[in-house]
Amino acid sequence: MYLKHLSLTNFRSLTRLDVEFPRRNAPQKAGGVVVLVGSNAQGKTSVLEAIYFLAAFTSFQTHVDRQMVNFHEAKNPLAVTRLAADYQRGRSKHHLEARLILEPTGVNGQRLRKEILLDGVKRHISDVIGHFNAVIFVPQMSQIVEGGPDERRRYLNLALAQAVPSYARVLSEYNQALSQRNALLKALNEKGVGLNMSKGTGGQLEVWDDALARLGSQIILWRIEAVQQIERLASRVHHELTRGTEVLRLAYEPAYDPTKPEIQLGLKLDTVIDRSSFELDEIQSGFLEKLKKVRNEEIARGVTTIGPHRDELRFIVNKVDLGAYGSRGQMRTTLLALKLAEVEWMKERTGEWPVILLDEVMAELDLQRRADLLKYVGESEQVLLTTTDLNLFTPEFVQHAEIWKVQAGVVNKSM
Amino acid sequence: MLLPESIQSLITALERLPGIGPKSASRLAFYLLRASEDVAQDLSVALANLKANTAFCQECFNITEAGRERCEVCESPKRDGAVVCVVEEALDVLALERTGGYQGKYHVLQGVLSPIEGIGPDDLKIKELVARVANGEIKEVILATNPSMEGDATALYLQTQLKQYGVHVTRLARGLPMGGDLEYADQNTLLRALSGRQEMS
Repeated sequence: MYLKHLSLTNFRSLTRLDVEFPRRNAPQKAGGVVVLVGSNAQGKTSVLEAIYFLAAFTSFQTHVDRQMVNFHEAKNPLAVTRLAADYQRGRSKHHLEARLILEPTGVNGQRLRKEILLDGVKRHISDVIGHFNAVIFVPQMSQIVEGGPDERRRYLNLALAQAVPSYARVLSEYNQALSQRNALLKALNEKGVGLNMSKGTGGQLEVWDDALARLGSQIILWRIEAVQQIERLASRVHHELTRGTEVLRLAYEPAYDPTKPEIQLGLKLDTVIDRSSFELDEIQSGFLEKLKKVRNEEIARGVTTIGPHRDELRFIVNKVDLGAYGSRGQMRTTLLALKLAEVEWMKERTGEWPVILLDEVMAELDLQRRADLLKYVGESEQVLLTTTDLNLFTPEFVQHAEIWKVQAGVVNKSM
Repeated sequence: MLLPESIQSLITALERLPGIGPKSASRLAFYLLRASEDVAQDLSVALANLKANTAFCQECFNITEAGRERCEVCESPKRDGAVVCVVEEALDVLALERTGGYQGKYHVLQGVLSPIEGIGPDDLKIKELVARVANGEIKEVILATNPSMEGDATALYLQTQLKQYGVHVTRLARGLPMGGDLEYADQNTLLRALSGRQEMS
């Protein structure tokens, strides 16, 4: 998969951008590499952010979509940000467009509306996600390793939504069921049902338990499978990056764990449990069973305490949890391995190379790893890198790449 | 310019209606102002009668004319009292009636379970349904709530509530629309249609 054309209007500092992208020349195994060069705060990262937005329909930078609307444009009563891309997927060409529309509401409010059009037809996000794939690597992604568990769930969700067709829809239905269930638990709590179980829950909770377990078990199953596949790829890359000195493992720890408790207790901490043998029915019935067991506690607390919304993913290097004990260098290497594995995983799942977006990664790596990285990405179909300094790249690499200069929100290709 | 109080209050009243914004509201208000007396008169009478002349059927809770104990469907001797179709809203009854293919009776829940909005079983006509079933005349209950998460949850809840009466409980089939195109069906619908496939005989 590769981008042919990108057009941006009022996206952050890029008020107007129209660029054609080079494609990889298959017989020569070269090309398809773009390096965006510029000083800080010129808009390099915004280009990557825009491309990634078309894959995930969310930003890696912010949870607030309105921040992507150009600062000056957003002052208008009606502000529109438009992202449009032509890309090739397999044999077919597609046109994907996203509009962020800030509309005035009431006296002085503004409301953001997202519109997604695939080939000119308005679609729901969960139907389009995964149609254009991209993998992004930015320095602040170290949060995946050192941040809270929600960062890692977000990482998993964004990767899975792009590669597993119904993931986004099931996840949003799960969240809907979760909020209904939480609202009910809270209401039951206020009525004092938790203290006096003889009153019963009137059978209402069972209904939402059922929805939660049905959707949740599907998510757990997908995550088990994905983490296992990504781990296999990541540990191989990691092994090469560290010249065989370190072993990386990914430990998926579902908040509802289908593994039997007696097995869990028998194992040492930091042991990665293989859950690949679980079937959907088995997880679902176990999840439902567990929800019954914790019912009193959940009513007392007024929230759902188990389920994929509380899952955890841990990175273990040489049997040590990286989140707690990793050095910065180890985290960087791990992230690099994780991202390169994600690229390969996505290609395995979808049959297409995702577009690779690398933001300022060279500056953080030592010479050897820079060379490794360039070797890996050189095999893909299309790569975009940003840098402040072209000298970080090898002369041969620069020679084969297109160099674009970014200055004050303007991209200049003639260099 | 300040509008006369009477026009402004009409605009404000119209704005409260679903699907009508400030612009549509003022357009409608000025249309009524210019139109002949009859138009406004008819509308005001219709509006006044809306609440005064309607009531809920005491059996199925569908909308009916005021003063009637039961609606037309419930009173009709031609309808099969052994089958009851449970729907969310009165409009759903209308949709099913248009098909002309249903000869049983109805039960309008007047909503669905939604804890977020604070709607529980007691806010819906569920007790009344259970009472109807408990009477023993009903042999089959068709659950025709919408195929949404809340609709499904409500159907599941009703099923557990009705289990003890030994009544036959069914749920509307879900799948592809008539005259539809496989290619254009969304994944979710297609998956449901696939899992709900039927033996050809």
